[in-house]
Amino acid sequence: MKKLRITVSGKVYDVTVEVLEEGSSSSALPGSPAKPGGALRTSTVEAPASASPQAASAAAAGDVVSPLAGKVVSIAAKVGDAVKEGDTLVVLEAMKMNTHVQANQSGKVTAIHVKPGDSVEEGQGLLSLG
Amino acid sequence: MPIAKHLLDQLHEKRRIALAGGGEDKLKARHEKGLMGARERLLNLFQPGTFVESGLLADHGCHNFGMAKKSMPGDGVVTGTGFIEGRPVAAFSQDFTVGGGALGRIHSKKICDLMEYAMEAGMPVIGINDSGGARIQEGDDSLSGYGQVFFKNVLLSGVVPQISIIAGPCAGGAAYSPALTDFIIMTQKNANMFICGPEVIKAATGQVATMQEIGSAAAHATVSGNIHFVAEDDAHALEIAGKLLSFLPSNNIMDPPHRIPNEIDLRLDPVMNEIVPEDAKAPMDLHQVIARLVDDGDFLEVQRDWAKNMIIGFARIQGIVVGLVGNQSTFKAGTIDIDASDKASRFIRFCNIFNIPLVTLVDVPGFLPGIAQERGGIIRHGAKMLFAYAAATVPKITVILRKAYGGAYLAMCSRDMGADMVFAWPTAEIAVMGAEGAVKILYKREITAAEDPVAAEAKLAQEYREKFASPYEAAAGAMINDVIEPAQTRSIVSLALRNSLSKRETRPPKKHGNIPL
Repeated sequence: MKKLRITVSGKVYDVTVEVLEEGSSSSALPGSPAKPGGALRTSTVEAPASASPQAASAAAAGDVVSPLAGKVVSIAAKVGDAVKEGDTLVVLEAMKMNTHVQANQSGKVTAIHVKPGDSVEEGQGLLSLG
Repeated sequence: MPIAKHLLDQLHEKRRIALAGGGEDKLKARHEKGLMGARERLLNLFQPGTFVESGLLADHGCHNFGMAKKSMPGDGVVTGTGFIEGRPVAAFSQDFTVGGGALGRIHSKKICDLMEYAMEAGMPVIGINDSGGARIQEGDDSLSGYGQVFFKNVLLSGVVPQISIIAGPCAGGAAYSPALTDFIIMTQKNANMFICGPEVIKAATGQVATMQEIGSAAAHATVSGNIHFVAEDDAHALEIAGKLLSFLPSNNIMDPPHRIPNEIDLRLDPVMNEIVPEDAKAPMDLHQVIARLVDDGDFLEVQRDWAKNMIIGFARIQGIVVGLVGNQSTFKAGTIDIDASDKASRFIRFCNIFNIPLVTLVDVPGFLPGIAQERGGIIRHGAKMLFAYAAATVPKITVILRKAYGGAYLAMCSRDMGADMVFAWPTAEIAVMGAEGAVKILYKREITAAEDPVAAEAKLAQEYREKFASPYEAAAGAMINDVIEPAQTRSIVSLALRNSLSKRETRPPKKHGNIPL
């Protein structure tokens, strides 16, 4: 892990960057022939963090951000709550629809930045997890 | 008189050397990393005993930079044909153990010859990419080789399905060959794909970037949208390729491999009624609907991790292969944005090329509002969906599940955009715009003049909603074929698909339309 400081539009953010080893290997042996008919395994991926200014939003690391612009309907957590990845934390209303914003990681709610009725931008930090 | 022994010995020796590729040590090192060799990848892709190799004894013809004394077995690529689920498929596999899998003149000739053969024989092509790039010693011959491969990719596009597997490095111009094919499968660990790597980016712009961030399977699957499937390892990548082919015809004049049963199951599925949330504002996970709509819940989702507000993929409905396109309201409220448009449009065009009927599941509140969307060209990108659907002549069945608003409703294959059959659930809201927005325009004067403008607006909005936030206005205007219970969806869609299997639609001849790109 490497700590870096980046500045976006005059705001300073501290980010942690994981440096990955090249050519990391596993001990798995070449697999069995393809079985087209059967059920398929799926491989899970998450968007890799980018330190580049274009990708950085107005939110800090550890923030749960709004996926789209809308209005806060309700907040299902309070500061100090322990939450699990996938728990619904905030409900937003946007485009005639409610959007459930879920925890992107397990942790403790360290701060809540919005209240019901607030309008939020896409990428805005709604609350912080520590 | 028998054949002279030395002739057989010579053949066996040449084959032994060629089959060894870059040698036992290099192959062993790959195995230790959990990677297959180039030929092993093909042997694992095809049914046992069906692989017929061509160009095994090929070698480079380069004399520059000390190359004259070096041998490049197979010139760094294994090419041939084999069977997958009983159907012939052409494939090439770059051999990283031979000169880093670098592409030279003979290497590209082998790939081009294979593609030419596949086009004439009408069989899909799978390309397994694992190459350090151009063989620098061959200079412009190598560059020309890439150009020839690209040209063939384009020639085959729309004739036979082309699938790329990125199972190693795929850098610079080399990345454009997979990009020209229909589907890209990429392995998580050993593969990377980029035009300019971190060093070049740093030198040219000063920006610091990691390979994970710009060239990994994770980056391409979630951010760039360049790839369609992520694989754990080589075996998994081959498995995905096989699964994908199980939904595709071998070429554009064949039908996809339907498995039509003798009897259609017309039973209702009451669980489908329960999936629909009572509250129109509550998000509905479209995956739950798809799982019950398709045979055995077997849905091969394409680009699962990118533009999640739009779901695309292949399945069978009572045996008939379909391409499914639908809005996912749990993500960005199911709105259509730039990425969602691009994702769906290319998929629709693929299905149209290969005679795969389209089933569209509509739950769309509109195009995503925002400065970034407007400045990013949502007009141009959203237009791709209109273009793709209107240009598609395969059977098009649309089911309006819930929201169907404005231009986004048209973009989801409405009757006017050429749908053969449109069905709506009782929860459908088919309207030109949302009630709140509509009454502000329709009753601007009345609302301002009212004693309590807020209450007046709410009352008018409620009236508007009752009239238009339902399927019955559209049904009365014959814009949809019928309003159905969710429980009827699978049986009605099956019947509609059966009815349209022999659909023939002719259009005025032209080179091609001018889709906004």
